Amino acid sequence: MKEYAIINSRLPKVDAWAKVTGDARYTDDLTMPNMLYGALLQSPLAHAKIKRIDTSKAEKLPGVKDVVTAKEAGLVKYGVSPARYDETIFCDQKVRYIGDEIAAVAAVDLETALEAVSLIEVEYEELPLLLDPFEARKEGAIAIHDDFPNNICAEVHQEFGNVEEALKTCDYIRTDKFVNKKQDGAFLEPQSCIATYDLNGNLTLTSSTQTVHYVQRTVAMVLGLPIGKVRVTKPCVGGGFGPKASANTIELVASLLSMRTGRPVKMTFTREQVFQHSRARHQFFHELTTGVMKDGTLIALKNVCHMDGGAYSSFGIATVYYGGSLLGAPYKLPNMKYDGYRMYTNKPANGAQRGHGGVIARAAWEQQLDVIAEELGMDPLELRLKNMMKKGDVTCNDFNMSSFGMEECLEAIRDGSGWKEKKGKLPKGKGIGVACGFFVSGAGFPIYRSETFHSTAMIKLSEDGGTINLYTAAADIGQGSDTVLTMMAAEAIGVRYEDVRVSSGDTDFGVDLGAYSSRQTLMSGHAVKQAGEDVRNQVLEVLSRNLKIPVEDMDIKQGLIIFKKGKVDFSGLRSQYIKEHRGWVDAPSGDELTFKEAARVAYFEKGVVVGRGSYKPGDLGGKYKGAAVGTSPAYGCSAQVVEVSVDMDTGKITIDNMTDAHDCGFAINRTNVEGQMQGSLSMGVGEALYEEIKFDAKGRVVNPTFGEYRIPTALDMPNVNAIIIESNEPNGPWGAKEVGEGAIMPTIPAILNAIYDATGIRVRELPVTSERLFMAMKEKNKK
Amino acid sequence: MHLLPKFDFYEPDSMAEACKVLAETKTEGKIIAGGTDIMVNMKKGLLSPKYLVSLAKIPGVSSIEPITGGIVIGPNLIVAKLIEFDLMRKKFNLLSKAASVLGSPLIRNRATIGGNIVTARPAADLPPPLMAMGARVVLMRKGKERELPLDDFFVGPGQTKIKPTEILVKIIVDDPPPFTGWDYVKLMHRNALEIAIVAVAVRITLDSPDGIIKDARVILSAVAAKAIHAVSAEKILIGEKPTAKLFARAASLASTDCTPITDIRGGAEYRCAMVETLTNRALSAALLQIKSK
Ligand SMILES: Cc1cc2nc3c(=O)[nH]c(=O)nc-3n(C[C@H](O)[C@H](O)[C@H](O)COP(=O)(O)OP(=O)(O)OC[C@H]3O[C@@H](n4cnc5c(N)ncnc54)[C@H](O)[C@@H]3O)c2cc1C
Repeated sequence: MKEYAIINSRLPKVDAWAKVTGDARYTDDLTMPNMLYGALLQSPLAHAKIKRIDTSKAEKLPGVKDVVTAKEAGLVKYGVSPARYDETIFCDQKVRYIGDEIAAVAAVDLETALEAVSLIEVEYEELPLLLDPFEARKEGAIAIHDDFPNNICAEVHQEFGNVEEALKTCDYIRTDKFVNKKQDGAFLEPQSCIATYDLNGNLTLTSSTQTVHYVQRTVAMVLGLPIGKVRVTKPCVGGGFGPKASANTIELVASLLSMRTGRPVKMTFTREQVFQHSRARHQFFHELTTGVMKDGTLIALKNVCHMDGGAYSSFGIATVYYGGSLLGAPYKLPNMKYDGYRMYTNKPANGAQRGHGGVIARAAWEQQLDVIAEELGMDPLELRLKNMMKKGDVTCNDFNMSSFGMEECLEAIRDGSGWKEKKGKLPKGKGIGVACGFFVSGAGFPIYRSETFHSTAMIKLSEDGGTINLYTAAADIGQGSDTVLTMMAAEAIGVRYEDVRVSSGDTDFGVDLGAYSSRQTLMSGHAVKQAGEDVRNQVLEVLSRNLKIPVEDMDIKQGLIIFKKGKVDFSGLRSQYIKEHRGWVDAPSGDELTFKEAARVAYFEKGVVVGRGSYKPGDLGGKYKGAAVGTSPAYGCSAQVVEVSVDMDTGKITIDNMTDAHDCGFAINRTNVEGQMQGSLSMGVGEALYEEIKFDAKGRVVNPTFGEYRIPTALDMPNVNAIIIESNEPNGPWGAKEVGEGAIMPTIPAILNAIYDATGIRVRELPVTSERLFMAMKEKNKK
Repeated sequence: MHLLPKFDFYEPDSMAEACKVLAETKTEGKIIAGGTDIMVNMKKGLLSPKYLVSLAKIPGVSSIEPITGGIVIGPNLIVAKLIEFDLMRKKFNLLSKAASVLGSPLIRNRATIGGNIVTARPAADLPPPLMAMGARVVLMRKGKERELPLDDFFVGPGQTKIKPTEILVKIIVDDPPPFTGWDYVKLMHRNALEIAIVAVAVRITLDSPDGIIKDARVILSAVAAKAIHAVSAEKILIGEKPTAKLFARAASLASTDCTPITDIRGGAEYRCAMVETLTNRALSAALLQIKSK
């Protein structure tokens, strides 16, 4: 493999010092002179008509600067996908879930704002509640949105090949159901923003977001501002995992309040509001029918999925497609049929979360494949190896596996976990399980249909040539994109890591669709690579003219110019540089011409030295309806082996070991890749064993805290053996593709398969709490 | 947003002064120790005392003093110290074990033993071991003390025999008699930061190394309105030789002694079943402890 100076290493993150010393600033850490605090009035009822709103008492409270309702905010509809814009800033006629926004206040401090909110009077007329998605779609159920009489927010019907015919040829067919629970993204930093509207009519919105671009568009559209007058920027963000991948209420409300008061307005969610705003993983009800031949060859899959969507669409249109399209692969499967339904209910809206739409389908199917392997008397790992797709294979729904190290992943975890020594040989109460998965490296299209570039990048050299400024709107939300893009810029130009200064997450720096669908390393990476190469070429071209040496005979490495054909006299350039920097103590010296000196010459000739890069995927195939959800320039894939111990008398599960192999194409930063793998696994452990948003009969979230909504603690995570597989993706920068989401795919089913191995129990409802497993074991013993 | 309601804060430097201050606040004042319970409730708006009185400046409130036949623990001693102190780990390791599964390191560095007792949560971690050890609490009002067995202290969730202007000033624990073994088992969803689904503390004392059970205490937690004795289990243990069969019977009886509810952490049926499992395990561990001494 080629040797690189910067990438494929384990350089520390660019923000490591700021993070470990606590110096990093998040939105709620920031204040502005003259800043007001905003607070929301949210519905205490899950479904009701609004009869009357009286804000007069709130307006009279000293310290209150503004009170707004739908009357002031207007009724421009927005959402995530233009096909389903079904939200307005504030509710007008009715409320649809507990937490639906009715009014907001801006006041001189938070205490006053909250008190004013409590003074707003609202008269409601309660409507029948729909908390169950199957009740919601029944004939005669009241419509949560008038335009959707059956409360079916979206449905998808796709068939590739001919499933009914194919099933007739199968030796073995089985059908299983599977269900999970509504999740919370459980990022540590609640959403927060500060909106500042200036006297020239420019709005600057500082927000904890994954996608400055989409927020910019939504805010501009809803508030009627030209896009160019809206700047969205993010400081450090404490995680997102999906729910921060679209504009939220407080971003719109704070902007509105700032426009009306002329003062900066800050709004921050409480943890409870994070749970209410939600937009995280849906509840899915899958019914899967799989047909195979005796030798284990997969023939057909029928997938019926119902989803509890909550009160609004959010990302749900994409989710309902992903619930189908992310099955099939990573196996060769010629026939696949999918029927998906997303229902509106009077609960917080569900949206996107790590592994968007595919995680539960994957859990259901990988467990079913395990059952099938057992029925056929095959080793489950062998069954997977047998059906595995290879590089160059195309799925029946037109996903092109332009690189695919699936087989390498499976072999790596088989050998890395000691599978052969353990499978079938563990004592009762101990189990081992395997599963696979794959995921996109960025969506083929933006969430709004457009010819837009998905990522742009700009690299500007400082006039002294010593610093390389990288500008990108890509969002580092903790996953490390600033680090990866900095490394890419340094590699592309040939300078040192520390010479590059990254500025990111700001719509002023360009267009980038942001941190979702595992896209930034590939897409933002392409743009940065291009911009870096552009700068490099510009500098070398000027140098070539100056020194009369062809560009091809020069190279840049570690911040030094390499003259391939031997020594070159550059003393003229050097003495000029030194003359210009009289008094400087770091004058360039040594036998080599530095990049700094070369860049200075480029500056003399050009004035501004800027490298440009922009990326959008080409035609990705798939002409059928919905092909936009799932087609991607590249697919990452992974396999995992999980080992568990089950306390047979309490049902308590302990994860003993996890062996994970992920094909990320090419690891730009190896430590970061492992970090994403570890993070995905821990999220998967939480979803498999603990996490569930619970509701009371009125539709109120009863566990909106991290005390009763459990994510794994350090003591719940085993050590993870993370194995990086590199398959060199032709469509990725330096061969890189995703790791951010794909790594979660096998976790839940591998745990389920290990639990079965330990106990003989197939659990088809998440989370597998000790109680659920204990009761299932008890039930089985009765029989 | 959860904001703290307004309150005045007092930090007297003697217990007498503390009693006086608290008496003057009538029923509008509350003691604050680590604040890990009271602050949460204040932020939620469940409590809004006008005055908070801290005992932190009073000498001796955060110490453990050996006395003849036992120890006296100050109410403000933080939970972390119950694990850290040699004396606790060696002689009163039942309390150390319970302390080590309370919350997380952050919580254990603030939460106090007094706060854990007075807050009277049905699933609190320290009352069961303290009850198993026969602990007594000393309460003070207007400079006058009264002593109460912890067994008689709890009334129901959040409710105790303490009067609004009374202060918990001491917790007294006797040395374990010879041939005593004990254990605390807490069933949790995760391995840290958990309120018990079910917890059981047991203590058995034999009359001789291979003798019969002279004294038995089986305390069940999170399965009733307060930590309770599994009375029928205790009854059949006393006077018998400790055997696996006896423990199984006692455990089974324990599960009939409790009245759990189904709540966010677990179902009633599961909890009952777990009482049996955990009681059995705790009894076996306690016996093993005696045998290995
Ligand atoms: C994240 C988290 C996790 C937790 N995990 C656990 C757990 O695993 N197990 C568990 O048992 N608890 C747990 N708790 C609850 C709490 O931490 C404990 O109950 C703790 O011991 C309370 O002690 P404190 O010093 O913080 O009490 P405070 O909050 O200061 O006081 C609690 C109550 O006791 C009263 N009080 C305190 N001292 C005195 C005194 N000397 N005289 C009279 N009244 C007094 C106060 O007025 C108040 O009503 C947890 C809490 C949090 C926030």
